[in-house]
Amino acid sequence: MKGKKLKSGDIENALNEFLKDGQHLVLGFKKDEKGVSHQIFKGSLDHHSLVNPVFGANAALYLRRLFSKGLKVVLMLRPCEIRAYVELHKLTQVEREDIIAVSIDCFGTVSSKEKKDDVPAEAGKLTEYFKDKGSMRWACSVCRERRGVVGDAGVRIDKSGNFWMVPYTERGEELVSGMEGELEEIPAEMLIPESPKTEKFEIDMETFNKDLEKCIMCMNCRDMCPVCYCIDCVFNGDEYLPKGDALLNKVFRTGSMQMPRGKDLFHLIRMYHVSQTCVGCGACEEACPQGIPLTKYFKGVSERLQGVFSYMSGRSFDEPIPYVTFLEDELKDAMD
Amino acid sequence: MAEETSKKNPEIVGFCCSYCTFKASEMAGSLRMKYPEGVKVIEVPCSSRVDPAFIIKAIVEGADGVFVSGCHPGDCHFIKGNFYTRRKIAALKEMFDAFSMKDRLRLFWVSASEARRFIDKVTSFYNYIKEKNDEREKA
Repeated sequence: MKGKKLKSGDIENALNEFLKDGQHLVLGFKKDEKGVSHQIFKGSLDHHSLVNPVFGANAALYLRRLFSKGLKVVLMLRPCEIRAYVELHKLTQVEREDIIAVSIDCFGTVSSKEKKDDVPAEAGKLTEYFKDKGSMRWACSVCRERRGVVGDAGVRIDKSGNFWMVPYTERGEELVSGMEGELEEIPAEMLIPESPKTEKFEIDMETFNKDLEKCIMCMNCRDMCPVCYCIDCVFNGDEYLPKGDALLNKVFRTGSMQMPRGKDLFHLIRMYHVSQTCVGCGACEEACPQGIPLTKYFKGVSERLQGVFSYMSGRSFDEPIPYVTFLEDELKDAMD
Repeated sequence: MAEETSKKNPEIVGFCCSYCTFKASEMAGSLRMKYPEGVKVIEVPCSSRVDPAFIIKAIVEGADGVFVSGCHPGDCHFIKGNFYTRRKIAALKEMFDAFSMKDRLRLFWVSASEARRFIDKVTSFYNYIKEKNDEREKA
């Protein structure tokens, strides 16, 4: 695979050149004295940062229903965010035409809930910082893809700390061609290795119910999930989670009821609905006010379900989502 | 009395495609064949109409078992509906497996003329669930 070796400032120069057109935007990270955050840059880059060591929300959330015509956007985001964007594109929630998605090698992040001021935002120092895994978010420590190998292009970091810009698609090539330097073969081994395979997820209903005991059904997990995109969610009506008169009718039909009700129903159904598209970013757990370990369930279940069809969410633009396609000759043991 | 029997006997919800399995159940009725009373059959236009959310809801709200049944693969009235069902239910089974309740969901194909097969499948599922419940009660 070929890429361009970058000197410091190369990416910024290329993006500044790109931003000179008033109709172009860059979605990336901004670093100032307050910390690092998502930023949509217009006109020019200032305080741009390639890495963001704090995870608050998945930026693909902001891309839902983006059908920008003639407005070009470059995404400079983490692999999990690019993967969620790829899934949203497959679900026809984002028009890909004018977007160039660049994934950047990710060192892992800390939770925004326990924001620490001592977290460095430089690539070199982060490896050192995350040597002891305790400070990393659980979702990141078991991440499936921390390498910037998804999307249209990737920013990779090799073992001696050099940055490489690697194009994967035609659009990526277009962006990379605007940069200085020649295409050369990239080193085989990079700083971020391939993630190890995780064990098959298994749990009993008792632990599940115990974990959910604290749930208050605020549905923040649904609202902050980048791939839970339905405008008319099944839980908004009275069919699954009745409210008011419908709830009282239900009590008269079935008997006394503990409130809030339907915690297991809500999470199990959501778990199934996002199963093939879940990227395991942990935004749900980040949004949970009660600190329920949701990533454990969503990531575990989605990896198993994606395994059935040898699918991985966000891996490529061309693989269709398993539920919308089929093979005639498959799954012989699915029937009883 | 009514409560006692409802505790003893499992409740099974079945989603049956209106072109094949539901017709088979009607045929079973007209042939005076019997299947357990706990089996509640719901007619759906096609087995792929069954959103796995229906199944999860049925189980969470108290059903002991759920089955989905449609035409044999390739015989779907809507040409390819049951291929999608097969994928969806296979994934749902994998999810139930993670929560160790895989045996509460079944998928089978019954065509409109196979009344006998419908009775067999439903009865064996019912007996299996009943046995499981009895074991749990004893333990």
